[in-house]
Amino acid sequence: MEITMYHYLSVGLILFLTGIIGSIISKNVIKVLIAIEFMLTGININFITFATYCGNDKFDGYIIALFYVGLGAVELATALYIFYLMFQKKESDNMESYTEL
Amino acid sequence: MINNPIIFYIASFLIITFALCSMFLKNIIYSLLCAIMVFFTASIFFYTLGSEYNAIIQAVIYGIAVPVIIGLSVMFTTGKNKTQKSSVLPLVLAIGTALFVMAFVYVIMISLAMSPDSFHFMDIQQFNSYDVISEFTRGIFIDYVWAFELLSLLLTIIIAGFTMLKIKGVHKWK
Repeated sequence: MEITMYHYLSVGLILFLTGIIGSIISKNVIKVLIAIEFMLTGININFITFATYCGNDKFDGYIIALFYVGLGAVELATALYIFYLMFQKKESDNMESYTEL
Repeated sequence: MINNPIIFYIASFLIITFALCSMFLKNIIYSLLCAIMVFFTASIFFYTLGSEYNAIIQAVIYGIAVPVIIGLSVMFTTGKNKTQKSSVLPLVLAIGTALFVMAFVYVIMISLAMSPDSFHFMDIQQFNSYDVISEFTRGIFIDYVWAFELLSLLLTIIIAGFTMLKIKGVHKWK
């Protein structure tokens, strides 16, 4: 049985949907950030799948996935630092406590 | 590219299971451990898709660096909370250990050229390592040089912002 492009796209889609659902239902701020990273990982799987199966003469999909990894790490570090600063005031990791910046 | 259904289905099962565990476990530490497994499994997907460079970057940044940052945040922000016991942790650790053992065995078999015959490789796109590095370099430093410089500028701004916040404090912000 041969694995096609749609198998990988399905896994990326499921991971993306898991991230969306987790970011909606989670009340912990850190868990929401982890869910956003899941979404980025699902997008990366789709990028690399398309790059592999749809012709990657210039490795465009691989390079864009590389940028996404960098941007994801930057976004996570920034969000966690902002959360840490706000935690010093709110003393809570519940999402409902953070209704304003 | 490795077109092996066994690896694909095992990795798919693990990545979905760990993602769901990460979202629905109440303890944030266990959730973080499951997230680490999701990121490592994603790097296995990248490897099987033929992008070894992305797999290494994913494993190093998302598998090691990002969990360290999240772990530090958990330590700084949830130290007063009580630790919640969970019976899922041994199962998660067992599955994770099995995944690592399988991955290492497979990598060793590939490196020693002892892969079984069922592990057939697709011959549609085969690149040697020199071509891959040269294409990546050309893409980053020529085709997408502005995106690369923008990302570098963003990193510099973030580091400068962190330093400014640390020096000036956050009392005005409060």
